[in-house]
Amino acid sequence: MKKMDPEQAKAYFRLRTTLIMIYLGIGMLVSFGIVLFAESLLSFTVMGIPLPYYMGSQGAIVTFIVLLFFNAFISDYVDKKFGLVPKDSSKESDQAANQ
Amino acid sequence: MDAQFLVSLGLIAGTFALYIGIAIYNKAKETSDFYVAGRGVPPVFNGMAIGADWMSAASFIGLAGTVMILGYDGLAYIMGWTGGYLLLTFLLAPQLRKYGRYTVPEFIGDRYRSNTARLIAAVATIIISFTYSVGQLSGSGVVIGRLLEVDTMIGTLIGVVLIAFYSAMGGMKGITWTQVAQYLVLIVAYLIPVIFMSLQLTQNPVPWLSYGEVISEMRSIDQELGISEYIIPFTEASKWQFMALMFTLMAGTAGLPHVIVRFYTVKTMKAARWSGAWALLFIGLLYLSAPAYAAFSRFILMTEVAGSSLGNLPAWTQPWVDTGKLSLADGNNDGVLQWTELVISNDIVVMATPEIANLGIFVIGLMAAGAMAAALSTAGGLMIAISAALSHDIYYRSINPNASEKKRLSVGRWSIVLATVAAGLIALNPPGAITQIVAWAFALASGSFFPALLLGVWWRRANGPGVIAGMIVGLSVTLGYIFAAKYGGFTILGIIDTGAGVFGASAAIIANVTVSLLTAPPSKQTQDEVTDLRYPEQIQYKNGEYYKKDVL
Repeated sequence: MKKMDPEQAKAYFRLRTTLIMIYLGIGMLVSFGIVLFAESLLSFTVMGIPLPYYMGSQGAIVTFIVLLFFNAFISDYVDKKFGLVPKDSSKESDQAANQ
Repeated sequence: MDAQFLVSLGLIAGTFALYIGIAIYNKAKETSDFYVAGRGVPPVFNGMAIGADWMSAASFIGLAGTVMILGYDGLAYIMGWTGGYLLLTFLLAPQLRKYGRYTVPEFIGDRYRSNTARLIAAVATIIISFTYSVGQLSGSGVVIGRLLEVDTMIGTLIGVVLIAFYSAMGGMKGITWTQVAQYLVLIVAYLIPVIFMSLQLTQNPVPWLSYGEVISEMRSIDQELGISEYIIPFTEASKWQFMALMFTLMAGTAGLPHVIVRFYTVKTMKAARWSGAWALLFIGLLYLSAPAYAAFSRFILMTEVAGSSLGNLPAWTQPWVDTGKLSLADGNNDGVLQWTELVISNDIVVMATPEIANLGIFVIGLMAAGAMAAALSTAGGLMIAISAALSHDIYYRSINPNASEKKRLSVGRWSIVLATVAAGLIALNPPGAITQIVAWAFALASGSFFPALLLGVWWRRANGPGVIAGMIVGLSVTLGYIFAAKYGGFTILGIIDTGAGVFGASAAIIANVTVSLLTAPPSKQTQDEVTDLRYPEQIQYKNGEYYKKDVL
C-alpha cells in the first residue's frame, strides 16, 4: 500500500466519468434521438429498411454492444496508464472457486 | 400420441435432465456459494448466465410476436431491454461490485445506514421478483400445456415443481452453470427457425441482412391492402408513450435485483464491465433476431395463409384456434381468408411459426425446449432474489442476527419453495396478460431501485431519510399511475400504464434529493465509502488520502 497523488486520482475519476458520459450520450442519441425525429427520417433507408425502423431493430442494439466492449477495452487501457494493473491476476483462485 | 409429442417431450426431458444434473453436481455447501457462486465465475460465462437469467418467457415467446403485431411501435421493447445494459454497466454494476454485499437491499441498507431502507428494499425486491415470476410460471404453463397437450394448469404445476426443486438444491452456483447450458439451448432454438425461414424466403442464410428485402415487399402489400404500414412509427401509441416505455424498460433493467446480483458473482470491477459487455452480446443475438423473426412470420402469414380458402386451411391452424389465441373469421363470407380476417395473439407467433413454415418436428420440439429454458432460468434467478431478500435481509439482518449458516440456508431453501408455490397458485389464474405483468415489474423497479442505486453510488450527500422518501414516493407514484392509467383512463401525453416508470423514477429522484438536502448529511465515513466507489479496487480512498495497493 502506498500513497497516491490526489490530483492523479482525481484526474482518473474525471477521465472515466467523461468517457462514460460520452458513451451514454451516443447511446441516447441512437435510441431516443432517432425516435424523437422518426417521422422526418423515414425517407432514409438502410438495406431497404427505413432508417428509424433499422435503428430500432438493429442499429441501436449493435451500437450498445460496441459501446460496452469499447468501454471494457478502454477502461483496461486507462487502468494500465494510471499504473493500476493488479499484482496477482488471481487466475488460480478463479478456477479453484469453480470446482 | 404422435411423433411430434414424443419429439417435444424427449427434447424437453433431455434438456431438463442436463440442467438438473448440473445443479446436483454443483450442490451448494456454503452460504457464500449459495447466493453468489463463491464470486468466481469468468466474465464470458457470467455473460451467458446473465443472458439466460434475463431472457424470460416474455422475450423468447412474446417479443417477436409483439413486434409483428405492433410493427415499429414494438421496437421500444427491443431498444429498452438492451439499452438498460448501458445504464447498468456504465453507472451501477462495477460500483456495486466494489461495495461487495450479497444482495441489493443489503447495499441500500449499508450505504444509507438505515435498517428501514433495507427492509423497504427487501419488500420491494420480493414484490418485483414475485410479480415477474408469476409471468414466467404462466408462460411455462402455456408451453407445457400446448406441447404436451395437457391442461395449462397441469403444465404450470409441472413448472412449479421443477423450479422449486433445482433452485432450492443448487443455489446460485448450480444455477450459474445451469444457466450457461440454458442460454445455449434457448439461443440455438431461437436462431434455427429464423435461419431456416431466411433461407426459404430469401435464399440467404443470414437473417439479419436478408429481412430488409422482406420488409420492402411487405410495404407494397400493406399499401395495396390500405392498412397501416408495418414500418411507420407511432401507429399504435403516441411518441411519448414509445419513449416512456423505452425509458421504463431501460431503468427497470438497471434496477432489477435478480440481474444486479449476477454482477456480484464476478471478482472485480473490471470483470463486471466485461460481464456486462458479454451479456449484451449474448442477449443481442436474440434481440437482433426477433425483428427478423417477426418480419418473416408476418410475410408468410400474409402471402401463404391469407388468401387461402377457408375450407382448405393448413393443418397447423386447428390446435391454435382451439387455444383461443388465433381467430380466422370469414368476415365478408366470401369463403376466402383475408389478412384482415386473421387475428393472431402476440404470444403464439414464435411457437406457431415453425409449424406454419413447415420446419419439421425436430425444430418445433427444439422451440419448446428453448421456451422452457427461458421461462425456467428466469424464474430460477427470481426465486434466488426472493429467497435472499427473505432469509438474508429480513431474517438474518433484522430478525435473528445469531442464526447459524445452516439455519439461514434452510430458511433460504424453504422461502424458495414457498415463493414458487405461491407464484404458481397465482399463475394458475394470472391477473393480466404476461407482457403486461412483466412491464409492471419493470415500472416498479425503475421507480424504486434505479433512483436509490443511482444516487447511492454517485451522490455522496444522499442519506437514509432521502432514500426512504425516494423509494416510498417512487413506488406510490408508479403504482398510482399504473392504476390511474389502466382503470381510471388518466394519462399524461398519451403515456399508458406500461410507461409508468418514467414518472416513478422522476418522483423518486426529486424526493430523494429534496429530503436528503433538508436533513443532516451522511457521516464522513459513509461519504468516504461513496468516494471510494469511484475507483477500481487498486485504489483505496480513506480520510482524504488515496492509496494504491496490490499493483505491479
